[in-house]
Parts: sequence; structure tokens; C-alpha cells
Amino acid sequence: MLPRTSPANSPETVVTTPASATIVQATELSRRFGEGDAGVDALRGVTVDFPSGRFAAIMGPSGSGKSTLMHILAGLDRPSSGSVTLDGVELSSLEDAALTKLRRDRVGFIFQTFNLLPVLSAEENILLPLSIAGRRPDSEWLARLIDAVGIRDRLSHRPAELSGGQRQRVAIARALASRPAAVFADEPTGNLDSKSSGDVLALLRHAVDEFEQTVVMVTHDAHAASFADRLLLLADGRIVHDGGAVSMEQALDLMKAAA
Amino acid sequence: MGKLILRGFAERKVRALLTGIAIALGVALMAGTYILTDTINHAFAEVFGNAYRNKAVVISEKETLGRGDGPEISILDEATVDHVRAVPGVAAASGSVQTRAALLSGSGKRLTSGGGAGLVDGVQPARFESFTAAKGHLPDAPGEVAIDQATAQRQHLKLGQRILIAGRSPARRYTISGIAKFAGAESFGGGSVALLTLAEAQYVSGEPGRYDGINVAASPGLSPSALASRIRAVLPSTLVVRTGAQEAANQTAELEEELGFLRTFLLIFAYVALVVGAFIVFNTFSITVAQRTRELGLLRTLGASRGQIMRSVVAEGLLLGVLGAVAGLFIGIGLAPALDGLFKAFGADLPDNGTVLQARTVIVSLAVGIVVTVLAGFFPALRATRVPPIAAMQEGVPAPPRPLPSRGRLIARFLGLLIVALAISAVTKSKVVLPILLILWAIRGAMLLSRARRAGQPRRCRMIPALGRGLGLIVSWRGVIGRLARENSIRQPGRTLLTALALTVGLGLVAFISVLASGAKTTIESAVARSFAGSLIVDSAQHGEGGIPAAVAPAVRSVHGVGAVTAVAFTKGTVRDLSKHGAPVIEEKSAITAVEPESFTKMYEIKWEQGSSATLRSLGERGTVISKKLASAHGLHVGDRLSVLTPSGRVVTLTVRGILEEEVLGLLRSLTISRSLAYSAFGQRQDGAAFVAYASGANGGRVEKGIDELLRREFPQTHSQTPAQFTKEESSRVNQFLLLVYVLLALSVIVSLFGIVNTLILSIYERTQELGMMRAIGASRRQIRQLIRYESLITGLIGGVLGLVIGLVGAVLVTELALSSSGYELSIPAGTLILLLAVAAAAGLLAAQIPASRAAKLNVLDALAG
Ligand SMILES: Nc1ncnc2c1ncn2[C@@H]1O[C@H](COP(=O)(O)OP(=O)(O)O)[C@@H](O)[C@H]1O
Ligand SMILES: [Mg+2]
Repeated sequence: MLPRTSPANSPETVVTTPASATIVQATELSRRFGEGDAGVDALRGVTVDFPSGRFAAIMGPSGSGKSTLMHILAGLDRPSSGSVTLDGVELSSLEDAALTKLRRDRVGFIFQTFNLLPVLSAEENILLPLSIAGRRPDSEWLARLIDAVGIRDRLSHRPAELSGGQRQRVAIARALASRPAAVFADEPTGNLDSKSSGDVLALLRHAVDEFEQTVVMVTHDAHAASFADRLLLLADGRIVHDGGAVSMEQALDLMKAAA
Repeated sequence: MGKLILRGFAERKVRALLTGIAIALGVALMAGTYILTDTINHAFAEVFGNAYRNKAVVISEKETLGRGDGPEISILDEATVDHVRAVPGVAAASGSVQTRAALLSGSGKRLTSGGGAGLVDGVQPARFESFTAAKGHLPDAPGEVAIDQATAQRQHLKLGQRILIAGRSPARRYTISGIAKFAGAESFGGGSVALLTLAEAQYVSGEPGRYDGINVAASPGLSPSALASRIRAVLPSTLVVRTGAQEAANQTAELEEELGFLRTFLLIFAYVALVVGAFIVFNTFSITVAQRTRELGLLRTLGASRGQIMRSVVAEGLLLGVLGAVAGLFIGIGLAPALDGLFKAFGADLPDNGTVLQARTVIVSLAVGIVVTVLAGFFPALRATRVPPIAAMQEGVPAPPRPLPSRGRLIARFLGLLIVALAISAVTKSKVVLPILLILWAIRGAMLLSRARRAGQPRRCRMIPALGRGLGLIVSWRGVIGRLARENSIRQPGRTLLTALALTVGLGLVAFISVLASGAKTTIESAVARSFAGSLIVDSAQHGEGGIPAAVAPAVRSVHGVGAVTAVAFTKGTVRDLSKHGAPVIEEKSAITAVEPESFTKMYEIKWEQGSSATLRSLGERGTVISKKLASAHGLHVGDRLSVLTPSGRVVTLTVRGILEEEVLGLLRSLTISRSLAYSAFGQRQDGAAFVAYASGANGGRVEKGIDELLRREFPQTHSQTPAQFTKEESSRVNQFLLLVYVLLALSVIVSLFGIVNTLILSIYERTQELGMMRAIGASRRQIRQLIRYESLITGLIGGVLGLVIGLVGAVLVTELALSSSGYELSIPAGTLILLLAVAAAAGLLAAQIPASRAAKLNVLDALAG
């Protein structure tokens, strides 16, 4: 298993990390669902950037627009107004096919419900984005990845034969397999017990620290937020807090204040 | 609860629609069949009614052996007519002639649509004639002919044009003097009619001076039935006297009987389509019940009883059945003309005025459609009642596995099967039955074993995963999408099996029939090659016109370069076994072949069970040679005496001189007699065919040309064929029938397409989230489409392979068990069978079109939300 870093106890490490290039940039994003009076403004003017090689957590009450923001950042949804640039590409100018290609090559996804294909083995699931793209895996990278997620002895198993934590670790390996510019995780620990949650979060932390991946994670869980370098708080479609790493207690306090 | 059913129905619109169509198509063919046959029947009833309206009494000959088997020489002549005229109360009487003949244009082209036989009618005195002249006049001189309006229009015939008519005599030319219209009805049932003077009609019928009926008019005030009994009293009992109305009813009834064959033939295909539809209903309901497990569990938790659950699912089936059957009935009304067109395309001309929708059609179609649907939905309903309330809380509560049969039962079953297989093998002397049964048993055993190994786990179908994996190789080289399709297609083996089986039914029948037909063609081919030693076969140019005039054989004999001609005639008789007590009838309508023994033995190789060519040559007028089948069925031996009642009512006594081995060409039938006996005692007037051998040293090509010239000039109703041409024509006849069967089976295949579409849509619905994830991580729409297409392709191929195997095994078994003893050969049409797999693949791809584009259009976010 990975060495368990405890970011809450050493917030300085984050501060000393040199500032790096912006990988995802959102400007004045708003998103309205529905028309007229019945319409809901999920986002109301969100401007935010995510530097490369950092781990950001987005928190906020239910319905505050976290998922909507993430979907738009990842090219799964389009904003009503505002723009997103991902790895130098302006998303609003892209057609569906180009967006698909962008997601395939530059974005990694981690879902709350794992979303592994039940008919494929763990290894095949990990390789799925590459297979879909018709790309050959980089075997050295793959070996590192598999060791990092610690499922080498489970590679030929199907998801049904894995525990929830193992499944999510497979899903993380899948998200990292193509070395994406950014990994988006929507409540990755929402369906896990606390032990498995810890493993998964440590793994994400490891991906940022060792593999220099950029991770944006939406979470409900203050403990999860404490693994990140940065905490964003969303309320009612607006960013109400944007700061450095926090401990679990600090995160809880911030949440209370925002609610 | 009722509300819940309706709500559920509305929610599952697409599946209800697709399943409804699957039922509707079968019902449509059923309704269409009834409507078509009723319409034809009605049209003919109208024709007959009109034809006999102006005839108080009609006299005809009694047909000794039943319908269509009357003597060929009629006993009705002008003397009989005079005899009738003398009966008090007879206002008028006239002999009538109606016969089949080839109607040809001046240049020898057939005038009948579909190339069938035309009808030649002798013109009656005005009071009896059912035709009136629409243009010109009905013939009153020997060289004149009137042709029916529909034919004239179709063939662009004008007054003054000359046509050729050839029945049982050499052809004659006639000038069109009139265009005739059938009185009081729109059409004359679709056939072509040529009207000649009575004497000319008699010439064409080959019986100058003879009539085949007498029309009688009654004096004013005398009822037809009273007149009929007066006439009956003075005529011999070999004549039948009916009132015009009785005659019309009689002919209608006979036609109805013939239409019965057509109806049954078509209904078979309707039932096949309904079986396929039932598969689809069963499958759809099973899937729905599985998908609703939680909902059903919840209903049970909330206090719904099993009965209520049962009723709700059955009611859904009932609603579906009603909607499907009603839709099918309406489609059937539209389908009837299409069926009519289909038969026209295959050369059968059927009248088609109006559409007859009988109450019976409505009731039977609706009842069958509804019952099939409800029955097919019943078992899934039963499964629905077994869903425990706890299912509301859990995901996927599996049904308990079916228990394995005990070892004792297995052994008992195996022994039973072995005994049956050995018995069949012993009786039929077939070598393949035992191996096939053993292989089937081995497969079954392997399945049981693997089930036993997995005992305790839910029962899983093993064959489909194996098949799916194997066939999946076809697409699995296409990278991960192919690999996924392969896995997905066997994810729910039971569901895939049912979906594929729907396709299997249609394709299996195609395979079965194509193998049998291929065997038939090979059998004919090799039998002709083996048996026929002559150079040419002369027979009727058109199937269905019967034989060739008796004058053909002598005429051909006189062609320069012809060495020998032997004529073969076919007749019938009722055979009694005189060597048994009470002389029991052993065959009611025995098929009898009449040959010219001396020349026949030179041109046809006979396989003897008992006897030799010498036996046949010394047959004489009192001897017969019988088939082995007849001999073994009735224990007949050489030397036994038989009596035969001939079509002309005479009884002849024959002695069995020899026994023939099975004869696949069907040339030598139950009894073989000498042709001269057939002509003297059986009323025979024409031959079935004539075989020709060239003189040694003659130039074959030139002789054939000479014969063809003669036939074209004098006997255009006949043609000559080399053995190879004959074989080819027989093959093409088989092919035509095959094509008709394929067209009709295509409906079942189409029905199964709806099943595939339905299953795909349902499985896409279940996998929405999965597909959304794939799109999110970068699968293109095209890849999603491909995935669904490949899955469907694999399902289609599973159906095709199963159909192929079942059809092939079935055909091999039938050939070996039932047909090989009569000389039938097995032949496997590899090309057709490969094509069949291609059709299965195409069916899969076609069915995937809509589901695939639906899947590709899924919105990623909606899909992810599940
Ligand atoms: N597809 C949608 N259609 C309509 N409303 C939506 C849709 N998606 C999200 N919303 C609304 O937008 C708001 C933000 O939703 P979401 O981003 O899912 O919140 P969070 O993830 O923070 O719980 C909520 O009020 C939600 O109801
Ligand atoms: Mg959310």
C-alpha cells in the first residue's frame, strides 16, 4: 500500500510547491437548466483556474452546482455563458466529435459508482480508454500505475469479483492510464467505507505528488477535502471560498459557514 | 391495479409496439389467408351461380372413381340429347363441351396469364349461353372463335386476328369473330376462355360427336327439381342429373375443397410466424419482469397478493394480444391482395374481385392472436408472482435453480433413448440415426455435467456462451468494441437464446426445406441419368395441361431418323385383391401406369424386385407389374389376381407378374399395365409422355430439329426435351416452389427482427449508465453504434447457426428415416446454407439500425445519471 501522507498535518508542503502553468481555466461560467420561471441557475458566474499538478477539492451543499461545474470543466456539458479552456483548447469551439476526442485523450474520469464494465477484466477496464482510442499502452507507465493502485494480483478478475475499494482503484487507474491533462472525480468516495476511502484518497494524492497529475475532486466529505492542496467552496452556483489546504476540522467549519 | 397496468403499458410503449407488431404480422398472414381464399371462393361461387342460372337441369356423367377421374370417352352423344328432349316438360336440351387446351397467339405465344391452361367452351343455344358478345359475334362457323374480354385486353387481341388452339387433337387455327363477356359478373374467375362451335370444341376435346354435359330448360310452370326427377327416371344410372342450382353448389363445394389445400398451406406459415411472435412475447415479458423485480417486490411489500401480480402481468399480455391481433386483422385485409399478387407472380391466376371478410376470419384471427400472446406471457407472469417482497430491498434476487435429474433417472432416460434409437435404426436400416442421437445425448450430458459442477449456482445456459464466444471471434478482432460486443452478447444467455431462437425458427425451416429440395433435385437428376436410355422426352409444354394427344407418338415415329417411340399413359383404378377372402379394396384410387412393353424396356431401365424385362415384354392385356410398396403393404405376391374398376366403369382382372423396386421418378406407379389395355378398358385417350430414341447412325441434332418442327406445327401443346433439359425443368420447378416457401418464411424472419430490435432496445435501456460512461471516457458515437451492431450481428449469427444445425439435422433424419427407402438421395446445398448464415448476419445488422442509433444519441450526462 502507498505511504499514507497526511496533508492536514503538513500544509506547508503545498505552499512551497512552485506555481505551475494553468491547465484548466474557467471564465464567468453560468449554467441555467430549463426555461423561464421554472429555470434553475446551477452556476452563476464562476471564474476559476486549476494549475497543473495540483489536487483541488470542491465542496459545497447539495445542489450548489459542484457536479455541474465539473461536467462543464470536463467537456461533458456546455455552459449557458462563459468559457472553458482545457490544456490550451477552448471547449466552446469544439464539435461533439472533437469534444469526445478531447475527453478520450486529455481527461480522466472517476465516478461515484465506479462505472466499470462488468464484462471486462480489471486490466481490460484500465486499458479501456486506450483501447477505445486505438492506442498502445505505455507498458512502463502501466506497470507503475498498477503497482501504485495495488491490484496486480487482481488484474484478471472481473469487477463483480472485486471489493468496492478495489473497484474504485481500478477506476482510478483507468482514469490515469492515458496520462490525461486533468482528472475529474465526482464524489469518488461516496460509495466507500472509511478504510477504502482513505486508500482511494491516498492514491489520488499519490497521483498528484508522484505522477504530477492534476486532480479536481468534488466531495461532500471534509475528510476527503483534507487530502487536497486547495479547497473551493461552492454555494448557490457561486464560489464562496478559494484557499489552500485545510484540515478536516477547518473544512467542516468552512462548510458550516457557507451553508 | 388496473391503473398500474395501463401506466406500465404506456411506460413501456416501445416494447409494447414492437411486441404487438410481432404478433400482428402472424395474425395478418392468417387473416390474409382466410380473406384471400374466401374471396376466391366467393368469386367462383358467383361465376358458377351465373353459369347455371339459365339451366334448369344439368346432366353429366357419373365419375366412377370420384371427381376429376371420369372416363375419357364420354357416353353422352346426340342420341342421349334426343332422348332427353323426348321427356315431357323439357323445353330445350343441348349437349355441352368444356375442355382444357393450350391457347396460343398466331406466333405460338401463350395467351393465358401465368402460362396455365385455358378453357375451351362449345357455344350453346342462346338460352343456355352464359357468354355474350361484347364485340363482334359468338362463333357460328367452324373457323371462328370468341375470346374472353380480360384475355383479349391483356393480350391486345383484335377481331379478325388468328389464334391457335391445341387440346387433345392436333392444333387448329381460328379467326377471332368476337370478344365475349361473361354474363352478369365482372370476370370469369381470372382464367382464359375460348368459345368455339360445339363441333370444334368436340374436336379440341379429342372426342368428336361426344358431349360432357347436357343443359336442359324446363317448360313454363315446371320446377327444376320436378323436371330433374322426370329425366332421372329415363336415364341410366351412370348419368347424374342435377338442377342448375345444385350443380352450381356442387361445383362451389368442390372448389372449396381444393382451396382448402391452399388455405392450409398458407396457414402453416401464419402459424410459424405466430410461434416466432410467441417467442418474442415470452422474451419481452421475461425481460420486463426481470427489470421490474424491485417494483414487483415493492408491490408485494405493500400487500399485493400473488394473484394480483399474476393478473396484472396477464392483463398486460391480454391488452397486448388484443391490440396486436386487431392490428394484424387490419394488416391482413391489406395483405390479401399482396398474397394474390404473390401467387400471380408464381403463375397461379386467381380471381380477385372484391374482398370477402367473413365473421369467421375476424373471430379466428383475433382469438388465435390473443390466445398466443396471453399464453406466451403466462410463464413470465408466473415468474413475476415468485418475486419475494425482499426483492424490493435488494438488487437482482435470482430465482431458485432447477433441480438436477437424479442419476437413476438419467440412466433410465439414456437406456430408453438407446432402445428407441436402435429400434428406429433396425426398422429403417439407417446408419446415421444412432450416431446423431448419441451425439445429441453427449451434448446434453456435457451440459448436465457442467451444471452439476456449478450446482447451487443459478442455472446458466452453457450453449449460448460457447456459441457467442465462438461467433464473437468474427468481430473481436475489431479491437475493444468487438471484444465488448462479444461479451455483451452472452451476458444474458437466456435472453440471447430466446432472441436468437425466434430467428432460428424461420431460418431452420429454410435450411430444412432447402436440404430436402436439394435432395429432390439430385434424386431426379441421378434417376433420370440412371433410368432413361432414350434421346428425347416429349410431354406437355405446360405443367397442368395434362398429357399429350395420342396422335403425337405415331406422328413422331414417322419423323426421319427416329428409331423408336414409346408412349406412357397414366390412369387410375380401384384395386381389389381377389386372392383374399371377400376381395377387399386395397387401393381406392390407385395410380396406374400404362406402357408399350416392347419398346419401353429398351428405353427405360427398370429395377426389379422380382421379374425381368422379359416379364414386362410378355405382360399382355391380362398381366400387371406392381410396386414393391403395394406388394409389401398388402402382402401381394407374383401370381396373385387383382380386379381393377376402371374410370369408364369396367372391371378388369389382372394377374401380378412381377414386382418393381422403389422408383423415385414416379413413372411406374402402383400398377403397371399395357397401354393397349388402358386404351381399350380404361377409356384412355391421351398419353402422359412419349420417349424417343434416335435410329442408330442418325444425326441427333437434325432429328431433334425435325421433331421440334412437327410439334410446333401440329402439337404446340407439347414440347420435346433432352434428359438434361427435363432434369433442369424439374429442378426449376422445385426451385420455384422453394422460392414461394422462402417468400412466405421471410415473414417469420421479419417477425424475429422485431424481436431482436426489442431485446436490443431493452438491453440498451438497462445499460444506459454503462454507455454513458463509455461516452464520457471518450468512446465516439460511431463506436457505440458499432458495439450495438456487433452485438446484434452475433445474436443473428447464433440464430442462424442454430437454425442451420437444426434444419440440417432434421432434414438428414427425415431423409434417412422416411425417404431414403424410396430411393431419395441426400444432398446438402452448401451455397444456400452459407447464404442462410449471411441472411442471419444481415438480419442482425438490420435489426440493430434503430437501437444502435438510439444508443449513440444518448446524452452523456443523462446516461450517467442513470
Ligand atoms: N439536467 C438538469 N436539469 C435541470 N436541473 C438540473 C440538472 N442538473 C442539475 N440541475 C440543478 O442544478 C443545480 C445544481 O446541481 P448539481 O450541480 O448537480 O449540484 P451538486 O452536484 O452540487 O449537488 C441543482 O438545483 C439541480 O437541481
Ligand atoms: Mg453532485
